[in-house]
Order: sequence, then structure tokens, then C-alpha cells
Amino acid sequence: MRRVHAGHEYVDELRFSVRKGTAEGSRHDTHKDKPSRFAEWCVCVLVAFALPAFADESRERVLVADPYLELHTGPGRAYPIFDIAERGERVEILVRHTDWFKVRTAREKEGWVSRAQMEATLTDAGEKKTFRDVLLDDYLSRRMEIGFAFGSLNHDPLLSAYTGYRLHENIDVELTIAQSAGDFSTTSLYYVSIVSQPFPDSRWSPFLALGAGRFTNVPKATLVSAIETKGGLANAAIGLRYYVTRQFFVRVEAKKHVALIDYNRTDDFTELSAGAAFFF
Amino acid sequence: MTNPVLLSLLMVTASTLAASAAQAAEPIPEPVIPAQVDRRDVHIPKIRANDVEVGAFVGILSVQNFGATRSAGLRLGYHVTEDFFLEGTYGRSKVSDQSYRQLGIPIFSSEEIPLSYYYLSVGWNLFPGEVFLGKGWAMTSAVYLVGGVGNVNFNKENHTAFNVGIGIRVLPSDWFSMRFEMRDQMFTSDLLGKNELKHNFEMTLGAAAYF
Repeated sequence: MRRVHAGHEYVDELRFSVRKGTAEGSRHDTHKDKPSRFAEWCVCVLVAFALPAFADESRERVLVADPYLELHTGPGRAYPIFDIAERGERVEILVRHTDWFKVRTAREKEGWVSRAQMEATLTDAGEKKTFRDVLLDDYLSRRMEIGFAFGSLNHDPLLSAYTGYRLHENIDVELTIAQSAGDFSTTSLYYVSIVSQPFPDSRWSPFLALGAGRFTNVPKATLVSAIETKGGLANAAIGLRYYVTRQFFVRVEAKKHVALIDYNRTDDFTELSAGAAFFF
Repeated sequence: MTNPVLLSLLMVTASTLAASAAQAAEPIPEPVIPAQVDRRDVHIPKIRANDVEVGAFVGILSVQNFGATRSAGLRLGYHVTEDFFLEGTYGRSKVSDQSYRQLGIPIFSSEEIPLSYYYLSVGWNLFPGEVFLGKGWAMTSAVYLVGGVGNVNFNKENHTAFNVGIGIRVLPSDWFSMRFEMRDQMFTSDLLGKNELKHNFEMTLGAAAYF
């Protein structure tokens, strides 16, 4: 919850800005003297939510190197700019939400700054190291990924979710669970795969995967002489990832599953799927 | 029997050693500008991110042909950019064939049977904005569209399902959100003889925390 600027605050700021010689055209303020009864009541109800969830003792500070940082009222490009932090000012980073950073300026103003602007600031650690490098380090250190996909397994719809861990630049290990609810039966699969990406730095990154796991097939209860089948599963896949952003990508894959039903019987299924995943 | 060559070699070695020892004893000249090494404390900032949203909801689910019942569930979301988020939803409700029983044609084994569903969806913050409380306070909000695929299970059968919805989310603080959402869960079923697409509307009220 954000306090809409009060009138006297606005005048104070105006004085400050006149002293500093900054433009005042794009201010987004509402002139008012006192919040209404209703607002006061709402404050009482919602004050608990406004309390910080976690107490951060040591917050990060960065030095503004560009002419100024623009402070938006919310974490999005369309939210109005209500204040700025000037060159040479130190700002405190409170929290990050997607590509937006909530900062507190030396004048105790809190607002949201875009990543593009934060990247030009300098860290406390050294004047040479920009915040951009720090963010890049942060992205490169992310090793876990989560994704889901939708596709077909021998013409039945298939829904799958996976979690992956990057062991090496080129090698990932993934755990997948999938379910296919067909017209006659429901098949559940889970398996572990080793995924190899020959060109991990490329925006279009192809991959190969080999996996092994288990499957269960439960026919619809209405079918005559329906028996549940369980067994081992092995699969091989070829696919392609496309990185939409640094931490978000979409992927398509074709996979051949071999179901080991018993000692002398196997069956194979073809999976085609597309999905989205992200690093965290 | 001493070898004169060996003796002379030994003498040369000894004199060289003595010379180097004398050299080592000479004082090292002081640097003109003394180096002032002031190491900076290099560390990578740890900035708390709150892109993960964990929440719960309660609502009413209307199952086509079977009336409306209370529903409740959990949500786990990840905000990828300011525009898009991914979300997993799991919910439970009940289905009743009471109206069919009154006519003497029960459909299920008992009058009320459990229903559960899960979805993996993509959300799009269509209209981000602010909600004003009186004149003095504002909170960020968003009207979003959500759609995805999943599974609905009832009467011991799984149905692959699709869902589309629209909702509004308001954030009283940076780590807490409340939302009101309406979505249509669609799946095909042959439970009443004919295989057809069923529309199941759900209206929910939820609360979530960001981590």
C-alpha cells in the first residue's frame, strides 16, 4: 500500500526541486490535507499487511551514476514516475520483483526502478563493478529450472512437469512427471533424464535426452476386463529450446518411450510436446 | 691424493657463496612512493526477490449437469516478467447427483463424490494499474487473463481439461496479494451417454504471499 502524496509534502518537494533546479512537469500527486475517515479505517485494517515480511538487517546500496533514476509508483513500465534519485546519490535496494527493483532514496522516498536503469548504477563493492555485472553473475549462478509442457502421447493428450538441475555447462539432470488421460485409460509416467545441450550459450539451443523411469496405466472403470499395467520405462528425446529472456524459455521436443511391460513384452509410444520453463 | 681440479672447483664455489652472502646483507632501497594497499570488501549483493507467489483460495464450482458446490485449493505461481506469470493450481470440490436420485436414476455410487483438479497455466497481466482507497492510499493491481491445461478427476476417471479465466489481483503490500477470479474449466465427458464438452464455471476469492 502506497501513500498518495499529501499537499504539504508536495510543497516541501517543490522547494527542494527548485533548490536543485530540477523539472517539475511530470509529477503525479494528489493535493490533499488529510486522509478521509474511510482511508484511516482501511489503514487500521491493512497496516498489518504493510509491515515488512522479513526484517533485512543489511540492505544493499548502489550509487547512481546516470543523471538520475526514475522512481515509479509500481513495478511496471506504465506506472507513473513520481520522484527521482540524482547522480551521486546512494539508494538502498529493498526488494526485486521480476525486472523491477524497489529502492529507498536518501530522502526516504520508496519507488520502483527498472532493471535497465539499475544496471547503470555502481555497487558499493567497487566503483569499477557496475550493478549490471552483479545481475549477470546472479543469472549465471542459477542452476535450478522448472517447466511444464503439453502435447500428445500416441494421440492422447499429455501433460508433464519437470524440474532440472544444471550439473555442468552442457549437462542437465531432469526429473519429469507426466499424465495422459486418454479415451480408454490414464497413463502416469515418471522418469529421470540426462540432457545434453551442445550449444548452451545459443539462443536457439538444441538438446538430446536419455531417460529411465516407471509408468502406470489404469483403464477406465467402465471398460470390460480392464487390468492395471505397471512397468519400467526408457526413453530418448530430441528437442529445441528458445530463450525468450535470460531466465525464461520455451521448448519443443519429440520423445520415444519404450514401456517394459514384462520379460518378453515391450511397447513403444511417441510423445510430441511443447512447453515453457524458467530458471530460479 | 687430492685432486687439484676438484680442490680449485670447491674454492670457486666457496668464494661465489661468500659473495652472494655479502650481497644479501646489503639493505634494499626504500620505494619512492610507498604502496598503500587498501583492499575493498568485494561481495555480491543478495537482493531479496519476490517472484514466487504461494496462495490459497475458496470459491464455488459449478459442474455442468451436477449443480454448484464449494471448492478450495492452492496456487503456486512464478512471475517471469511484469507481464507474464506461470501458475500451478490444485483444487478440490464435490459433485452431487441429488437431482438425478430424486428421479430415481443415480449416476454415482453415492450421492456426493469428491472431485479434484489441477492445472498448469500461463497468465498475462492485461491491465496493470492502481486501486485507490479513499483519497489517501493506493495499491497496485492488475486485471489478468489466465489459461492452461490440466486434469479433472471425479467418479474415478481422469479428464484432460482446459481452463480460461479472468481475474483481478490487488497488492496491499509488496509481499501480499488478494484476488478475485472467474474461470471456465472445460473437459469432454460421456458420463450421461453422449460424449460432449462440459463447461464448469468457478468463482474464487484468494490470498497469497510472495517469496
